[in-house]
Amino acid sequence: MKWIGEQTYYEVLEVSPTATAKEIQMAYEHAKETFHSDSLAVYSLFSEEEINEIQKAIEEAYRVLMDEALRKRYDQSHFQTPGGEKGGKPSEIQGTPWEKKTALSFTDLSIDAGEEIYRGKTLRQIREKMGIDLKTVSAETKINMKILEWIEEEALDKLPALVYLKGFLRGYAQSLGLDPQKVVEGYMQFLNESKKR
Amino acid sequence: MAQAQNEDRKIIWTIGGGKGGSGKSFITANIGICLSKLGVRVILIDTDLGGANLHTFLGISPPSLSLSDFIKKRVSHLQEVLIPTGIPNLQLLTGAQDLLNAADTKSVQKRKLLHSIQSLESDYILVDLGGGNSLSVLDFFLMSDGGILMVTPEPTSIENTYRFLKSAFYRRLRQSVSSYPVKTLIDESMDRKNEMGIENPHDLLKAVMRIDEEDAKRIIEETENFHPNLILNQVRSKKDIEIGFSIRSACHKYFGIRLHYLGYVVYDQEVSNSIRRMRPLVLENTQSRAAQCVREIASKLANRHQISFQY
Repeated sequence: MKWIGEQTYYEVLEVSPTATAKEIQMAYEHAKETFHSDSLAVYSLFSEEEINEIQKAIEEAYRVLMDEALRKRYDQSHFQTPGGEKGGKPSEIQGTPWEKKTALSFTDLSIDAGEEIYRGKTLRQIREKMGIDLKTVSAETKINMKILEWIEEEALDKLPALVYLKGFLRGYAQSLGLDPQKVVEGYMQFLNESKKR
Repeated sequence: MAQAQNEDRKIIWTIGGGKGGSGKSFITANIGICLSKLGVRVILIDTDLGGANLHTFLGISPPSLSLSDFIKKRVSHLQEVLIPTGIPNLQLLTGAQDLLNAADTKSVQKRKLLHSIQSLESDYILVDLGGGNSLSVLDFFLMSDGGILMVTPEPTSIENTYRFLKSAFYRRLRQSVSSYPVKTLIDESMDRKNEMGIENPHDLLKAVMRIDEEDAKRIIEETENFHPNLILNQVRSKKDIEIGFSIRSACHKYFGIRLHYLGYVVYDQEVSNSIRRMRPLVLENTQSRAAQCVREIASKLANRHQISFQY
């Protein structure tokens, strides 16, 4: 029963100390979606000040845990055993298997990326933070590496027709565990804004 | 015939939280039917103050016997007011009278009722608490093996649910501590603008630690052992589903408790159609999306208590 200031970074994001980068990314996005002043889930429960405090803690936890060197240093200073050892709390974000089984299954988290939209550069940053290389995404999604590179590089003149692009974006999003709909919407928004300039 | 592995151990679930309209009676009736179809004995108890309508969801006319008859000693044993529902393994106990009005019902009567409910012969007992968060409603919620909160993805419903949860949580803490000053502190902290500056459960714990370490340990233990459940009703999108997970996280951050997200029920026109026809959804339209959701939740409840199937 710790207040946010007393929680470890893992507890802030509700992940296990052995969480992968992908799990941390998903947990971060879930936390951002949950703890902002417009969120239904915090309505009438937290004061504005408390939400700000939690938001800062989430950002700081994410910053450290997504950086390999910082995370290692943090684990060494906070835990008696290295972070790689099992024994931490089970990951909150995974839930029990049944939570993902039904027709409207909770598969991908919807992301409120705040001011950012899912442009190519943002997607690459997320992918790199997760430690996933493009080759893996290509193998998993069966999308040509070149196309994935163009998406990330925002090579507007080389991108395929919209109908194909949207499909590729969905595949890319799914392989990173992101919400496909949000990613497609974000990238389309970026394209529209780029055309206006 | 399915049997509970622990035949003398009944499981009591209470469904509460928030005002009317969140779907408590709907879910109580339909989950009760699903469980009874698994072959276990189920009793549904309707304790809704002035708004008892569980019988309507089951398609039964207003019953002649109710909890009032027991409380007012017109019958001597609670099982005498059990009503058959026409559905095998399922019985109903209704509170069609104003039974749980805190002003009318003395605490000794409420304790007698609680004790009598626990003595009923059944595998499962589902108690529809209705709206509000009077002390009797809170005590029923806390006495069960699992308190279930029904919420819809709307600010009013969420606000009511949190209000209920706070009341239940603080009542549980108050019941667990022994020193009078700590009990008083807990009472004071229910008012967010209290003079001691206690704004949340964490502030409360720090204040209690300064007064009584043993009670502080009790508070920590009660918090760790308090696992209410959540069902999200009238879900219309994936974003709505995610609100359940967000509520779970928010509860953990605020109370330090682990709320269990039991599941969700999609918004489905078939629900109001079945209510109008006074027929339970899971019997009337088994293939509807909402019925599928209810069955999923019922089977999770059954699995949690390891009902074995011996066909």
